[in-house]
Amino acid sequence: MIYRENGQFKTSYGADQQIFPIAQDRYLVLAIIAFAFIGVPMLADEYFFRAILIPFLILSLAALGVNLLVGYCGQITLGAGAFMAIGAYAAYNFLIRVPELPLLAVLILGGLTSAAMGILFGIPSLRVRGLYLAVATLAAQFFWDWAFLRIGWFTNYSSSGSVSVSNLTVFGWDISSPVNKYLFCLAILVVFALIAKNLTRASLGRQWMAIRDMDVAAEVIGIRPMWAKLSAFAVSSFFVGVAGALWGFVHLGSWEPAAFSVDRSFQLLFMVIIGGMGSIVGSFFGAAFIIILPIFLNQFLPALGDLFGIAISTAAVSHAEFIIFGSLIVFFLIVEPHGLARLWATSKEKLRLWPFPH
Amino acid sequence: MSKQIGDVILDLQNISLRFGGVKALTDISFNVYEHEIRAIIGPNGAGKSSMLNVINGVYHPQDGKIMYRGEERQQMDPHLAARQGISRTFQNIALFKGMSVLDNIMTGRTLKMKSNLLLQALWWGPARNEELAHRQKVEEIIDFLEIQHIRKTPVGRLPYGLQKRVDLGRALAMEPKVLLLDEPMAGMNVEEKQDMCRFILDVNDQFGTTIVLIEHDMGVVMDISDRVVVLDYGKKIGDGEPDEVRSSPEVIKAYLGAGH
Repeated sequence: MIYRENGQFKTSYGADQQIFPIAQDRYLVLAIIAFAFIGVPMLADEYFFRAILIPFLILSLAALGVNLLVGYCGQITLGAGAFMAIGAYAAYNFLIRVPELPLLAVLILGGLTSAAMGILFGIPSLRVRGLYLAVATLAAQFFWDWAFLRIGWFTNYSSSGSVSVSNLTVFGWDISSPVNKYLFCLAILVVFALIAKNLTRASLGRQWMAIRDMDVAAEVIGIRPMWAKLSAFAVSSFFVGVAGALWGFVHLGSWEPAAFSVDRSFQLLFMVIIGGMGSIVGSFFGAAFIIILPIFLNQFLPALGDLFGIAISTAAVSHAEFIIFGSLIVFFLIVEPHGLARLWATSKEKLRLWPFPH
Repeated sequence: MSKQIGDVILDLQNISLRFGGVKALTDISFNVYEHEIRAIIGPNGAGKSSMLNVINGVYHPQDGKIMYRGEERQQMDPHLAARQGISRTFQNIALFKGMSVLDNIMTGRTLKMKSNLLLQALWWGPARNEELAHRQKVEEIIDFLEIQHIRKTPVGRLPYGLQKRVDLGRALAMEPKVLLLDEPMAGMNVEEKQDMCRFILDVNDQFGTTIVLIEHDMGVVMDISDRVVVLDYGKKIGDGEPDEVRSSPEVIKAYLGAGH
């Protein structure tokens, strides 16, 4: 009843082409953003910021980047972790070698370096596709894992192999406290999500989707596969690189190459698959599912045990966590192979007609 | 007929195409006049689709040359053909399944959109204006094809006949000089065929688009085309006006067998 677009007439194509054509969606999203900026800092405690919210924001950004490539352009990648690492180490090198650069510029330069590498490692996509491309991008993962471990220049010859940054400020705003870190990541995420949405609803996004859905037809209507694929690799790697730089700088503070191992690549790919390929909001769902659910189970299971008077050992909790988490993944993939985003879209469609479905 | 048939726009000279040992096309020559509807017919496996693929650069013939608008065409890629104003529809609908009808047709205008990545990322100024200007054009095509009611529907959900229509819409969005239609009416019922014929004739009539079409329905071919070329086993066995072709003994033999 509430979710209706009755009476919302559009008189221009501009009004019809906006991101949220339905007024209720617009208000809802604005309310969520406002709550995230104002409400959450008042409610959440430090643990919540450190363990849940900041990782969620940063990995959402990375998942968004992976989704642009895998979901929108149909080029599968297992190298996302490597591009996060490139972003992080490139930003680190810009920071220590050109100290006068402001933090935002450093992050963006890290992203751009990652984008350049994305183009380079995207070249195989012009010849191979599907699983073979996945293997080719896996090569990027292993190569950069090795490079950051063995080539001393990247880590400024740090003896322990780990690098660290501290005293981060953005235009004089100190972002060392968890709240400020959270707000900084949130601001970046909002801007990048908007950029991703704009790209996917414009000509470039349509080119990516055309290549994904039917590459022969795309070429016949004048799309150059090389440009479409490599631009998707570049933009995706840029997003992932910025996320990697944030992960190193803001979330970890000090890190070593293992922080961006192949596990991270798989994690990001699963976020996209579970959240919904080819959907911006799906990236957030996927990130939330993968990051928040295990933590939630971890807290919730002992509480549930107490309720029935059973003491559950920590080992049992961590086993149960894996079992439940795994079965939930299977459950969601069976119920809706197109991901949580599709469930969301379907329920919105149902809601529009509720309570009179016919 | 009131329409003005122009000069030769596309001239295929001695085209031969082989895939390994298989001869798909052997020494085929024919031409297409500007503004005409040119049909290519022939039994299954005659090389009709290969012929279209040669014209828009998907296949590269080993021998022969193609003159397009008076110039010899060099090595050709599909997107270069698109740039020169050749667009096509597909036999097995090749729409972008995950996208809406509107987006599918908008994609057809990719070549005409010039704004760069940064402007698109910000949805700002020129990029936004360009998007809206093209939306206007696309809406005209949607009106023309009478598919207003499904413009926001994902094409995967549409029935076959409408998908064919969207496919035509996407090809029209390029504002082509030459439109290649690969069996636009295959698998349609009589009403859908009538609609499709009407659209093809209207496109030809209103926009002056040259049309090369492959079709199996002889009634349709004889009614709407100006000239017909007949292929069989990769060879040309007939060329001329519909009536001429219909009475040619070679063509009858190819279609009905030697006994008739």
